[in-house]
Amino acid sequence: MNLRPYVYATGFVLGLATVLLALSPRSAGQVKLAAGSFFVPLYSAEAGLQRVRNYAANKTATREELLDQNQRLALTNKVLRIQIQQLRATAEENKTLRVQVAFAATNQWKLRLGQVIGRDPANWWRTLQINLGSRHGVREGLPVLTPDGLVGRVHEVHPNRSRVALIGDPACRLSINVQPSRENGILTADGATVFDHTIVNLKFLPAHTEARAGDPVVTSGLGRLFPRGIPVGKLLSVEPAPGALNSRARVKLAVDSSRLNEVWIILP
Amino acid sequence: MKTFYALGLLVIALLTLYLTNALEWPQRITGTRIDPLPALIVCAAMRAPVLALTLLAVLGSLWQTSLSADPPGISMIPLFAVGVAVSLNRRAIHTRLWGARFAVAAAAGALVPLVTVGLLMLLGRQPLLGWFSFWQLAVMSLTSGLLALIFFPLLEWLDQAVEDQPFAAPYDTTTRINRNPY
Repeated sequence: MNLRPYVYATGFVLGLATVLLALSPRSAGQVKLAAGSFFVPLYSAEAGLQRVRNYAANKTATREELLDQNQRLALTNKVLRIQIQQLRATAEENKTLRVQVAFAATNQWKLRLGQVIGRDPANWWRTLQINLGSRHGVREGLPVLTPDGLVGRVHEVHPNRSRVALIGDPACRLSINVQPSRENGILTADGATVFDHTIVNLKFLPAHTEARAGDPVVTSGLGRLFPRGIPVGKLLSVEPAPGALNSRARVKLAVDSSRLNEVWIILP
Repeated sequence: MKTFYALGLLVIALLTLYLTNALEWPQRITGTRIDPLPALIVCAAMRAPVLALTLLAVLGSLWQTSLSADPPGISMIPLFAVGVAVSLNRRAIHTRLWGARFAVAAAAGALVPLVTVGLLMLLGRQPLLGWFSFWQLAVMSLTSGLLALIFFPLLEWLDQAVEDQPFAAPYDTTTRINRNPY
């Protein structure tokens, strides 16, 4: 057997792999963008197919179904409008109080809806791809959420798509606040997250923590990456450690990321 | 060089990578993402020349990592190593037997992610690993073996469909040579 082609090919692959793995994050991102462009026709075809499916579904929906859906939406709309009135009054009151105690005013969120177009093919990362990129105003680090709670943060931005690091991914650690006791901690992933991606570790709670299972967990606003008060999940269990410096807990996340189709990005 | 065969191989790699990225139900059922490349490179190594194998390892790895948080081309070396190992020993592997196809691809399905994770750790990354990762490895190995059972006949068909075929037999089969009939 002629081994010369194998020797040349091995040298080429080793050299190329070494160069690729030594690239700076920016150059690596450009290589990924170039390689990912091969999938663009497939993503476009999928989007077209989705439009056809939606059109067909709209055409085949019965009048009863549409009336029923319309009634439910009208009811939800009324409830939400009443809640908005109440929230407006609260916001006004909050604004006045902030002025009185000289607190910085909070900005209203600018939200943008994105579609989930893919999930990480590797089992050792927890990321997903959305159809919004730098052309839509998306930047690295922006918070990503759903009406149920926080999903993660933007980790990698390309012109027309972005990668979101989900809570539980090593690239998305966040500071949280346990609601009734107002104790802060850091959410990180561990081995249990590999088994159930809706369970994450909560570290650095005070040693004599007052937190209890079932307590709601929200973002603390520390670090200025995530706004304060976004729901994250609920405490599943708490392991107090009176002798140690701090306690640990487990958090059940509010959002099951495996079932996500749409997410909201808070734009700056 | 089998140009069309190599192109067909790359198209199959692109489509299967896209499908495994877009489909959510395999992960919901098994808790594991399926990697089609180890099975594909094992099947390709049985027939394809080394240049086609190199292209598949390089482009397949780059395409896969473009969809992932992995650094670009991280699985290039393990994929290529598996391809070369199978290609150099192709005469020793009894590929007509389904069990042999399954076993070789299953071994590749376990080896490629293991080496990839090892390389990630060498690069200072912190991949998410736990006890459940052993289950994921077993599922990846099993699905790789099963995928090989699909890829083998598919690549055989592709090879026969695009390979240069002679227009006629290289000798006249109708002529009979009778030596000294008397």
